[in-house]
Amino acid sequence: MPALERLERFNKKVALSLESIGVFALIFLVFITTLDVLGAKLFNLPVFGSMDVVMVCQVVAISFAAAITLITGRHVEVEFLINHFPPRTQIWLSLLVRIICLLLFVIIVWVLTSFAHLLQVRHEVTPTARFPLYPFGYIAAIGSLPVCLVYLSLIIQDILRLKKK
Amino acid sequence: MTPETVGLIGIALLVVLFLFRVPVAFAMIIVGAGGFAYLNGIQSAMHLIAQDIFDTFSSHPLSVIPTFILMGSFAFASGISRRLYLAAYTWLGHLRGGLTLATVLACSGFAAICGSTAATAATMGRIAVPEMKKYDYDDSFATGTIAAAGTLGILIPPSTVFIVYGIMTEESIGKLFLAGIIPGALLTVFFLLTVVTLCVRNPKLGPAAPRTSWKEKFSSLLGIVEAVILFGLAVGGLFLGWFSPTQAGGIGAFGALMIGLFRGGFSIKVTLEAARDGLRTACMVLFIIAGATIFGHFMAISNIPFELADWVGNLPLPPWAIMGVIILLYFVGGFFMDSMAMIVVSLPIFFPIVKKLGFDPIWFGVIVVLIAEMGVITPPVGVNVFVIKGIALDVPLHKIFRGIYPFLVGLFVLIFLLMLFPRIATWLPSFM
Repeated sequence: MPALERLERFNKKVALSLESIGVFALIFLVFITTLDVLGAKLFNLPVFGSMDVVMVCQVVAISFAAAITLITGRHVEVEFLINHFPPRTQIWLSLLVRIICLLLFVIIVWVLTSFAHLLQVRHEVTPTARFPLYPFGYIAAIGSLPVCLVYLSLIIQDILRLKKK
Repeated sequence: MTPETVGLIGIALLVVLFLFRVPVAFAMIIVGAGGFAYLNGIQSAMHLIAQDIFDTFSSHPLSVIPTFILMGSFAFASGISRRLYLAAYTWLGHLRGGLTLATVLACSGFAAICGSTAATAATMGRIAVPEMKKYDYDDSFATGTIAAAGTLGILIPPSTVFIVYGIMTEESIGKLFLAGIIPGALLTVFFLLTVVTLCVRNPKLGPAAPRTSWKEKFSSLLGIVEAVILFGLAVGGLFLGWFSPTQAGGIGAFGALMIGLFRGGFSIKVTLEAARDGLRTACMVLFIIAGATIFGHFMAISNIPFELADWVGNLPLPPWAIMGVIILLYFVGGFFMDSMAMIVVSLPIFFPIVKKLGFDPIWFGVIVVLIAEMGVITPPVGVNVFVIKGIALDVPLHKIFRGIYPFLVGLFVLIFLLMLFPRIATWLPSFM
């Protein structure tokens, strides 16, 4: 099914690209922490706002890794029971679970977007350097969007598998 | 329906979702938000989801998790583990079962810079399995030893499970790390004794490898130095109060990266791959914590933990008997669930009971970690066993599990000793 393959390829490309941004945010988080510690301990000169930078870098890193974490199967699942069911039942259950998870992530995107808007309206800022927080609320929502797409492609896969059986 | 009934239905539903293979983190969000919506209204549940997810992802104290995980990933990629194994191998390889003794010691050393059981088992498995095959070690004995010794990863600091336990229970991560040192050292000794006993009873399990020269022995010690420096810098700095946990993790990750650049010949590609691997693990853990936070809020408004704590506290049983039941529940749960997930789900329910009964929360943390260790090497969900199976493809799963069983004795003995002498865990933290 070329359309499904195209969707899978697109999802993986988007997930990897977002993850690359996340990786840089994570490495930057490590560098800023090290710089802050060295500056504070050796020269009595901590990096101003390092705590805020760590906070927002973590939001970027984790949010943008959400899709690839799902694609690479890193989320913890309890598998021992479902493996004992007949193959067709397994696919039906998998379809049901993936529909529930898709709905969950649609809700997550929606509530995080509303939450980011709330942060924007309230002019919420980080504790010390006082960066506006709302862009990072939107980043968290954006990071969850490709997760919806990944679940959509998994649902289509399950439906096709059911049709084949 | 009373809030307590809703809470109980929520717990039952959570178990059903787990069994239907809904990812643990997402199942906790679904049940937590659903229950919260039922008791407090949909609007507040929607706000709870957004607030808890954003607060978890942007939490400064929680950044200790990605940094320590990254430290482990960089340490793995930089070849520290290989040099640790080589050092232990050079000193002990000529003994009967020497390669397995070396594996246990190298796992113990690597655990001091890596906080994950699976990473420790995978790292050592890749190095030790081919060596043991070369010297005709028994497959079951060899793979079982690596899987079991890999569990030291979460007991000897730094440990991701201790970090999550500390964050969820608001206990000091530094004290928890200190509490893991003596039990970790004891467990290493028990594992070494298990290897020696097995090889004395059946010498064919682990034939001796060729003897090495004293020159080789002493030069191999250089391989330990970088691990000692990294542990001293990150974990030692934390114990001495130089750094906060997040700073210790950051410094550790930076140190491991520097070692990788100067000793391991890190290229940009290797660095990025190690960082990607660490980020995916961190993302999984933070999603679980976000899910547990939402589920915990639901549990709190359902009053279940407090009612349960009151009920258990008034039972006509001595606290030790109740603790025995809690340990048994964790032990049984460990058969079916990932250790991290099990701890995160159960803590909001059991921790108030443990406190009410007057047990030391730091001591309980060590007990929980030890039971979690059993969970990663017992069927059917033994993560370490699957990791080793992925390396030793020709060894059937049941053979690996069979090789593990003797090592469970050491874990049971240690739990028993900790029940009898809690100071084994609480003595070092008392200095902090």
